[in-house]
Amino acid sequence: MILLHFLVQHYRLFPKSLGDVLTTYQVQELHLSQTQGVWRYDKWGYPPEDAAPGAELLVWFLPQASNIDKLWSDLVNALSGLFCSSLNFMDSKSTVIPRWTFRPAGLADEGYSLQSARVRYSALPKEIVCTENLTPWKKLLPCNSKDSECKSSAVELKQTLTLVYDPPTTNRNGKQDWNFRNTYSTSLSSQCPLASSSKIFVDMESANFAPFTLKPEPTRIETFRRVGEIKKYAVYDLKEVLGKQGKIDLTALYPGVMQFSDIVPPPVYASRYVTGYGLEKGGITCQIHNTLSENITVIYMETIPWFLRVYFNSLKVENNGATIKPFKIHYIPGKDRSQPYQLELVFRLRAQSTTKISLSFDRAFLKWTEYPPDANHGFYVNSAVISTILPTSVNNTAVQQHGSTIEDSMNDQSEQLFLRLHTESLLVSLPTPDFSMPYNVICLACTVVAIAFGSIHNLTTRRFQALDPSKQKKGILSKIKSKLFKSSNLENSKSDSSGKTESEADKSNQKDDLKDDNKDDKISNDTEPS
Amino acid sequence: MLKAADRVNVEEHFQSSHTNNWAVLVDTSRFWFNYRHVANVLSVYRSCKRLGIPDSHIILMVADDMACNPRNPRPGTVFNNANEQINVYGDDVEVDYRGYEVTVENFIRVLTGRLSPSTPRSKRLLSDEHSNVLVYMTGHGGEGFLKFQDAEEISNVELADAFEQMWQKQRYHELFYMIDTCQAESMFQKFYSPNILAVASSKVGEDSLSHHVDPKIGVYVIDRYTYFALEFLETVEPGSRKTMGQFLRVCPKHQCISTVAIRTDLFPRDPDKVPLTDFFGSVRNVEILTSTIQLDNVTVARDDGEYCR
Repeated sequence: MILLHFLVQHYRLFPKSLGDVLTTYQVQELHLSQTQGVWRYDKWGYPPEDAAPGAELLVWFLPQASNIDKLWSDLVNALSGLFCSSLNFMDSKSTVIPRWTFRPAGLADEGYSLQSARVRYSALPKEIVCTENLTPWKKLLPCNSKDSECKSSAVELKQTLTLVYDPPTTNRNGKQDWNFRNTYSTSLSSQCPLASSSKIFVDMESANFAPFTLKPEPTRIETFRRVGEIKKYAVYDLKEVLGKQGKIDLTALYPGVMQFSDIVPPPVYASRYVTGYGLEKGGITCQIHNTLSENITVIYMETIPWFLRVYFNSLKVENNGATIKPFKIHYIPGKDRSQPYQLELVFRLRAQSTTKISLSFDRAFLKWTEYPPDANHGFYVNSAVISTILPTSVNNTAVQQHGSTIEDSMNDQSEQLFLRLHTESLLVSLPTPDFSMPYNVICLACTVVAIAFGSIHNLTTRRFQALDPSKQKKGILSKIKSKLFKSSNLENSKSDSSGKTESEADKSNQKDDLKDDNKDDKISNDTEPS
Repeated sequence: MLKAADRVNVEEHFQSSHTNNWAVLVDTSRFWFNYRHVANVLSVYRSCKRLGIPDSHIILMVADDMACNPRNPRPGTVFNNANEQINVYGDDVEVDYRGYEVTVENFIRVLTGRLSPSTPRSKRLLSDEHSNVLVYMTGHGGEGFLKFQDAEEISNVELADAFEQMWQKQRYHELFYMIDTCQAESMFQKFYSPNILAVASSKVGEDSLSHHVDPKIGVYVIDRYTYFALEFLETVEPGSRKTMGQFLRVCPKHQCISTVAIRTDLFPRDPDKVPLTDFFGSVRNVEILTSTIQLDNVTVARDDGEYCR
């Protein structure tokens, strides 16, 4: 996530490659995430930084920028080169202008967010993340650069890497123990020399029911209150720890084997799926669960590709059978091959219940050049984005929008927590043609033409003259040959399959004649051999 | 002032007459069972990088993701050998065109330089008339064509025309074309531009075969020609004196089963005298001096000296 307020000309910690791109395309704020896998909200709570499956890009442009559509399409191309990712596919067919779901997270002029035409959002659920994307991401980190003259500017670059591990599965003994060596194959031996602060935080919330010991001892244990919940972190100040020990292999030891029990799901979580059968119609349904004992208001945003033609009148929001009327609806229908269907709803989730949003669509026929090379895999639909404000911070370690580091969240005095969820992306099959058919048709048609036309041509254009075999003088060899070929000659002359056999038969007759030294002009075939 | 003796040394250093190296490495196959094609192209990528061509001068096109494929039991790696010694994917890989971007159109646009203005630098082949370009292609091919991602083909005529466009636009000094597919020889038979040296893993009428299966991964991991080519390249260091002639003789028939075909008629130099690093490496002939040299301001007429062209 990059927040850029002023034009930056001097680069000390901020990477120049990215800075150049941002100034050229007049970007105010940019959020780019790339994800592999699905985050299980109901089992794991909320991630520190929420991201859509695949690649997701959200950009605000500077107030003075003009022709934003062109800037957007040039920007996604530049970013695709920078991050080795196919972000150039984020064209007008998959880009939307969200109205309420997103707000600038950084410094912006008052009233900026109301001019929502300056924002663009797009997602590519199919985009994979691999080492080739991490290589350029790693190169953006400042720790390889040399120190140079500093110039003040209001630029923030936030890079987050989120990984999920499962110790009881990877350990052979069923215990939840983990350490740096097993997880990252190395211990932490240095910190970035340019960093003003470098810390490790270990969330001790689970120690209440499954206690564990940390080695080495943390610098301090912080207990603080956040939105009404007590949070406890073990803090390691790396400047101190590395100064004393040189390297740290943080280890958590549990006394016994993991005790499995029912997991309490977080306050709000959702699941989204495709309904219907066949290749003509279908539907999308999203279930949002609210386990809190109070109603909360939610903003729900969906982007559906143009080839799933949505019926707006089929939109239904219900809770236990009762229809819920949304407070606000923002719907922009899609246009074939130029823009997707965009839906934003603001409605209330009733306490301790599940609300269901459903839509139905018709599947379109694509032109045969529009299918991807692996067309039978299906087509991906972006995940839905759900934004809400929670009155509790249970299961939540995310940093708030007005903070930058985890330490800021310790001093967070707000009474509410902003939450953003992304649902799963969907995979939908479209009616797909058999791509080998043009080849099959060409082969079949050519074969039929060659056989039928060829034969008819031969029959109609050759002149046949009757030969009287008894009037020809033959030698002994030719007599034997004629006996052998006699029956096959008759068959061949009857068959229409090819002029070739006829001419072959004629040729052998010719040879007989010539061997006879008979210069009789009884050669009957006028045509050339086929 | 440069002395006459120094001038002779300078001439020797610039004998090869190319000043920069580029590589365009293309894997055209999609799907998990074509793992070996991705391993092929990454093997050549690894060699080029090791011998000095920087990422900014390599255009790597990989049609599908094998390393982070959910079917890969060794995530984040691509091996070219069942004993899994070399991870050709590595830690520092930059793929320029991936997935659906690997198309015939993009490939020809990269070669000819006719890209849209918004294409970033890392996706452009910015070669000039002093560049030596290495073009490596692998995938499934047939007589006269190479299949791109099961959806389209590039024919040998199109490829020859693309190289001719490159020659007309002075986008290469010398070009080395390597192809590892079935009936690979057919792909270079139509070339007509000068300064091209080509090698193919099989003659027309022959199939190139894969080398071996890794039972732990479950697919063929490398093709024969590229396997032996990589084995040869692993013995080459940036300062090596190995020649292109030796490289063209890699993988004789008893190893490759198919016959390696070469085309040298368009290439003016004798391959046995051309160093391997002319195409695979990016060797700068730099002599480091500890003494200072005083240079006077000299006005030079335009047609003075052969190497001022």
